[in-house]
Amino acid sequence: MASAARRGRPKIKPPRRVLPLHDTWADLANNIREIQNHNAPNLSFEENHRFAYNMVLHKQGEMLYRGVNQLVAENLDHLANSQVVPAFPSGASDGTMQSQEAEMLLKALRNIWDDHTSNMVRLGQILKYMDRVYAKSAGVPEIWDAGLNLFLKHIIRPPIKDHLVTAILTQIQFERDGYVVNRSAIKGCVDVFLTLEDANGIAVYKRDLEPALLKESQTFYEAEGFKLLQSCDAPEYLRRVESRFESEDSRTHHYLSHNTAPPLRQILQSHLLTAHLNAVISMEASGLDAMIDLNKTNDLARLYRLFIMVPAGLACLKRALKDSIRKRGEVINQASSGIEGAEGEAASKPRPAAGAQTLTLALKWVQDVLDLKDLFDKIWKEALACDRELESTLNEAFETFININDRSSEFISLFIDDNLKRGLRGKTDTEVDAVLDKTITVFRYITEKDVFERYYKGHLAKRLLLGRSVSDDAERGMLAKLKVECGYQFTQKLEGMFHDMKLSEDTMKAYRTHLSQTVSPKIDISVIVMTSTFWPMAPASSTCTLPLEMIKTSKSFEQFYLSRHSGRRLTWQPSLGNADVRVNFKLKKHDLNVSTLALVILLLFEDQGPDDFLTYEEIKQATSITDVELQRHLQSLACAKFKILKKHPAGREVDPTDSFSFNADFSSSLQKIKISTISSKVESGEERKETKDRIDEERRHQTEACIVRIMKDRKHMTHTDLVNEVTRQLATRFLPNPLNIKKRIEGLIEREYLERCDDRKSYNYMA
Amino acid sequence: MTMADVEMTKAASDSDWVRVTSDDGYSFLVRRKVANASETMRDMLDTAVGNYLEGIERTCPVQQRGVIVEKLLEYMSFKSYYEGAGAKEEVPVQEFMDRVPPELVLELLLAADYQNM
Repeated sequence: MASAARRGRPKIKPPRRVLPLHDTWADLANNIREIQNHNAPNLSFEENHRFAYNMVLHKQGEMLYRGVNQLVAENLDHLANSQVVPAFPSGASDGTMQSQEAEMLLKALRNIWDDHTSNMVRLGQILKYMDRVYAKSAGVPEIWDAGLNLFLKHIIRPPIKDHLVTAILTQIQFERDGYVVNRSAIKGCVDVFLTLEDANGIAVYKRDLEPALLKESQTFYEAEGFKLLQSCDAPEYLRRVESRFESEDSRTHHYLSHNTAPPLRQILQSHLLTAHLNAVISMEASGLDAMIDLNKTNDLARLYRLFIMVPAGLACLKRALKDSIRKRGEVINQASSGIEGAEGEAASKPRPAAGAQTLTLALKWVQDVLDLKDLFDKIWKEALACDRELESTLNEAFETFININDRSSEFISLFIDDNLKRGLRGKTDTEVDAVLDKTITVFRYITEKDVFERYYKGHLAKRLLLGRSVSDDAERGMLAKLKVECGYQFTQKLEGMFHDMKLSEDTMKAYRTHLSQTVSPKIDISVIVMTSTFWPMAPASSTCTLPLEMIKTSKSFEQFYLSRHSGRRLTWQPSLGNADVRVNFKLKKHDLNVSTLALVILLLFEDQGPDDFLTYEEIKQATSITDVELQRHLQSLACAKFKILKKHPAGREVDPTDSFSFNADFSSSLQKIKISTISSKVESGEERKETKDRIDEERRHQTEACIVRIMKDRKHMTHTDLVNEVTRQLATRFLPNPLNIKKRIEGLIEREYLERCDDRKSYNYMA
Repeated sequence: MTMADVEMTKAASDSDWVRVTSDDGYSFLVRRKVANASETMRDMLDTAVGNYLEGIERTCPVQQRGVIVEKLLEYMSFKSYYEGAGAKEEVPVQEFMDRVPPELVLELLLAADYQNM
């Protein structure tokens, strides 16, 4: 087959060395022109290779090299004139026309580039010996590189170059405006620009196209930013911006250099994001707040994605989130401060409604805070990619507004109290547990943990004494949670209370056994022995004169107890107890459950005739109950739902001038009636002040103890170090005021625990 | 011509047979892989871009005597066979050198320079 094809052409003769070299070149030059006309398949490689080989061998390399360059240059000029120049834009103003013309021009350039490069490859093949021997020794570029330089010089020159750059920019702009362009045509030309390098090794792309492209983009996106801001709401703005980012990414990826991506991104970031961050996030009715309100997780997630791209974004987002939480927090605080108004009233003349209302408000406050926390947790998880920095921002914001409400500790304790008391109402254990878990997260925000401890202790004591806890497990679970949060010290006393409850149970069993063996008093008694340091009740806070029968009964227990534990002192706390009593009314008998003090009052009426009165003063003298307690119990007996006593004159409040009589006409459908003592569960102003004083005092002790502990360890410390250390150690309980620490230090110096050093800046420990 | 067309469209593969001819009428059939051991022949046979007459006809004329062409091809086979041999593998270079008659050395040298191998 091969020989058959060979028959058709003259046999290749060995080049005679005598052949005039000028003829050799003339033949070769002719053949090169043929190659440029795509006629290589009709030419013999061997022949042309040998021509070039011989010329180089015969020191005609320079002539060959120059000649080839000349031919390539001529060809390029020809290509430019025949293909590129006719494709120059006509100056049409129509966008579509412009785009089409630009595409034609880019395609034309790519065509001649492809033509040129394949020619250069073919020439390179037959001129390899020249490259190898002549180019190296003469220090000129190989023919392929020479070809690139010629292309640069003859094609990428004004005005062709400028038209090309304009065409590419036109196409990009056209695409940005939402039209479809021929990406591969652009890519074809861009690739040429990327390949060609000028004398300094800088690509034409980098030198001529990129700066123009970036300048154009800058102008476009600057205007685009303002345009979008005017015409879109925040979510739409962000959607558009994100799609701009995506399309620019795909643009650089598909037909521009990846090196252009970062500066282009920079332009988008600064003009679409940085410049308008605040405007977008705070847009009325569609900004961050609205997105949160409307639960637009996707929009929020997009907002986050975009904002974290720019350095100012995170800060801006943080600020906005903080603001949003602060505003929401203020609303919640505001709602709960309705208490303040009602409370002034409640303090002077306690009304059951006020107490209940304040409790509701307290519970609502915690529930609102929890809901808000839930909302932001959800947003944080779903939209903010669990960003750690934002988490701390959210926490900070919560901490701020929670601590602005100076009753937050009390409210949280009340909330826990409420859940532990009524927990089973329609909720499973796990649900209660979840609620408490959440409450703990809110608890964490409280800076004054000692205040919380005090309230919690009070509420726990009431729950334990009145047996109001739903489940022991839940109580202990809560305790364990607090222990995890605040450490052993925090819960020590609380655990002591549980321990007392357990011991009392055992003691009562033993006591009952004891009674069964001896003579038992008339009244059945159940006693809880409380270690006075564990329980929050002030010792002997309210005494009263008990009726004889009751004294007998209590004496009996006292004897029994002291016989088992010598050296202990028992103090009765009648104000904390309650009693079951059967009362004969006219219609029928009722079993009443009343507080011990109420029973004492009730017993005064035992021997009274139906129309006899006891004045307030008489009752007070007979029982020696303090005014506050007496009013409370009289109110619950005479003014509450079940009116066991009649008050004269009738009314809701009890005055020292009132008098009372037994209401024999009382009737109820219930056999057993619980007369609950009216108690403002939320503290009244006075109580609160008292609590605050107690807390302040406790803090003084704690601060002093802490100072002494530190100084005992260090012996010598500067004032600043000491204050810092004390602050650090106490921070788990409360935030001490440096001024107070200074006062305590002075107090300790007076009592000669410490001495001031001569430098007036540090202290020594004196043991 | 149709035959040639069909073959042109076929992608060049290492195991193709190509013809190498001497100027005194000898003709050798070798695998393309062997021919590629000479850069000049590889360019000559290139159909991807070059596509010169030789490439289409898969024939490389070498302007040397048959005996020189034979030695060249022997060396090219040797080279392509041992190409990529591991460091441990022993390449019998000396054996090959022993097979080169001293009177051909100069001509072979010139031919090898032309063939760029």
